[in-house]
Amino acid sequence: MDHAPARPTRPDLDDLTRSLHTPLERITVEHADLVEAVRRRVVTTGSVPSGVVAVAAFNSSI
Amino acid sequence: MLKVHSRCDLSCDHCYIYQHADQTWRGRPARMPPATVRRAARRIAEHAREHGVPVVHVVLHGGEPLLLGAAGLREVLAELRAAITPWARLDLRLQTNGVLLDEELCRLFVEYDVRVGVSLDGDRAANDRHRVFAHGGSSHDQVRRALALLRRPEHRASYAGILCTVDVRNDPDRVYEALLAERPPRVDLLLPHATWDHPPLRPGPDPTPYARWLGRIHRRWVDDGRPVSIRMFEALRPGGGGTEAFGLAPADVLVIETDGAWEQVDSLKTAYHGAAGTGLDVFDHPVDEVVRHPGVAVRQDGVDGLCATCRACPVVDRCGGGLYAHRWRTGSGFDNPSVYCPDLLGLIDAVNAYPPPTPPASGEWSATAPVDELLDDLATGHGSTSTLALLAATQLSITRALLAACRDRFGSTAAWDLLIHLDQAAPDAVQAVLAHPFVRPALVHRLDPAALPGLGAALDPLPALAVAAALRAGVPATVRVPLRAGAITVPTLGDLVLPGPGESAEVTVGPGEFRARIGSVERTVSLDPLAPPSTGWLPTRDVPVPGGRLLIEDGDPYRDCYGQPVEPRLEAPAARALGRTLTDAWRVVQRDVPAHAAALDGGLRAVVPLAPDPARPLRSATARHAFGAVAVTPHPDPETLAVLLVHEWQHAKLGAVLDLYDLVEPGQGTRIRVPWRPDPRPPEGVLQGVYAHLAVTQVWRSRADTDDPDASAQAAHFRAWTRDGVEALLASRSLTAAGERFVGQLRHALEETRVGSG
Repeated sequence: MDHAPARPTRPDLDDLTRSLHTPLERITVEHADLVEAVRRRVVTTGSVPSGVVAVAAFNSSI
Repeated sequence: MLKVHSRCDLSCDHCYIYQHADQTWRGRPARMPPATVRRAARRIAEHAREHGVPVVHVVLHGGEPLLLGAAGLREVLAELRAAITPWARLDLRLQTNGVLLDEELCRLFVEYDVRVGVSLDGDRAANDRHRVFAHGGSSHDQVRRALALLRRPEHRASYAGILCTVDVRNDPDRVYEALLAERPPRVDLLLPHATWDHPPLRPGPDPTPYARWLGRIHRRWVDDGRPVSIRMFEALRPGGGGTEAFGLAPADVLVIETDGAWEQVDSLKTAYHGAAGTGLDVFDHPVDEVVRHPGVAVRQDGVDGLCATCRACPVVDRCGGGLYAHRWRTGSGFDNPSVYCPDLLGLIDAVNAYPPPTPPASGEWSATAPVDELLDDLATGHGSTSTLALLAATQLSITRALLAACRDRFGSTAAWDLLIHLDQAAPDAVQAVLAHPFVRPALVHRLDPAALPGLGAALDPLPALAVAAALRAGVPATVRVPLRAGAITVPTLGDLVLPGPGESAEVTVGPGEFRARIGSVERTVSLDPLAPPSTGWLPTRDVPVPGGRLLIEDGDPYRDCYGQPVEPRLEAPAARALGRTLTDAWRVVQRDVPAHAAALDGGLRAVVPLAPDPARPLRSATARHAFGAVAVTPHPDPETLAVLLVHEWQHAKLGAVLDLYDLVEPGQGTRIRVPWRPDPRPPEGVLQGVYAHLAVTQVWRSRADTDDPDASAQAAHFRAWTRDGVEALLASRSLTAAGERFVGQLRHALEETRVGSG
């Protein structure tokens, strides 16, 4: 079994909506790719590509 | 991947370790010696420390890793945890044939938080085709017994899923049903390893039997409502993300053999003898050196590392050229399409074609709606109620994923256990707490304090979340809640200031109240609004608005995420005045731009007062991590505040979209000149700007139809800003295809605003 998480660049819309029906206890197992994608996309210290408004106090950023 | 044991107790004839070209296993030690385990663990830890790697995935593999026995495995797991956990989150996995799995091992895996994958090829007939003992006997009963053990509630957290190797002679329906019957969290379907030198079995005249076989299972899976995660199908969807077998993401798997040798992915063993070798080992070579090995480096190049046929293929972003090992042909090496190329093409067609795309019903959003539909709706300037509901749902889902990531990172705690209990017993209470805008900043800060600088030490937010949910659910509970600045914050409900020093308080939830004890001091807080005020308790305050109730959030410490100072708790008269203005401002939005008011109804739940600044008396802000909230300087004029609310809510909506989709090409250093600032701005800032200014244009355009003498000039002013920003963005070549479409639609909405006269 390929245990490595998939390498999604973003949380998938379908996974996001489906995971709402998964008990919290099982999210890391049944939606491991989603958790990994969220971790990579949302917790972004030091990895924010140039041009992206990261923290987004938007009115000082727009 | 750690090969902790190089021998196996089964004798499967499709095994690539023993039955294919590579036979290096014959010269390796049967089990990885403790000194090698220690060295391997230190090499991994060294790499995590030097590169700040947040997560390390280690898979215990074989051969058959359970041949190490419980004591041997415990030593390995303890060594890995001790060496790596100080530097990175360690995700431990184990792949087994299941034959030796027993209760003691299950307890060990739960104790060390190891997720276990079990190999099972389907029903008895399918499994017995290959997965047999050396004497030819079936392993089916033992494997099913192992899966039953993993399904038990006390072991379930360690059940990762099932690996099923495809054999097209098996009945796909029976295989599918047998796999589902084991209730796995995930199924991984594996194409049997093959190369151009040794092509896969293709019985009969069908040139693509694997596409047909897998297509059949895909159809069943879709018809059943995708009851389990099937990695292959999810990876092959557009944007489905890479795996080792599909996609163009850089290869990021290394193998450590029982003798300490660094090797490339072990599927290469199917190509030729020694194919996975690097000549390096954990004793003398760090990870960085292995990564520079030509065999690893060539797999970091994405599409550029593929053969010409693949580079020209329209679905190369889906299959990524297939598994590297499957491209092998003597003479041309790996510079070929996959030997499964026709099957992969057929399977991608099957995944595309089923289910057929259907438009969402009128007024109802389909969860599978394409990006264009979502963006087109938001590009009207406001977005429909159903789109707002979808964005709010995705934000809640992201918060739940972050909560799970915290559990993954920091382990199970009493607060986590309480939350999962409440999630089952009172899901609405948990949802009401997790939808609070400042839960996500708290979780992000916990996972990476540097991501939100200025919030101080990262405390565990789970106990306070659990208390808030228990109070809402009316479920008795006791947990310890960390203090920040001498107070505990119960999200959505209020803050309790406690006397004296202390790092945490014991909080006991009872019916309609809770008690907090720190040392010898105890405070009881009643949540009954008619009860006398409780000592030290500062309840949240909210005001009625057409969309429900709007929280004036001036207590939650995680509201301080706007990059500018927030106001401390307002005095009661000031809070009442702000509440009245907010209620009136919401009505003004309804009067001027009802569609934007409906969008506010769909998600704005809290307003954070910003600290006054005489130099900039009128300020507002939105934070990407705090969907559902905006921050404003308290202002007495509802007409003015209405514009700020509309403006900021645009940023919140677009921020939620940007969590899901790239509208700007990442990694570019482009800067764009805009009329509203003197300095050139990054494209995403400009995108946010034009989206907000479009809405403000619509507000003023509407007011221009009334007696407001200033409105026409304001509308023209913001219209010019929006138009110039849109044109600059489109000329910048910095947008993705979806971004270009979105901005093009914004331009159309802007033209409509002019023509429609409000």
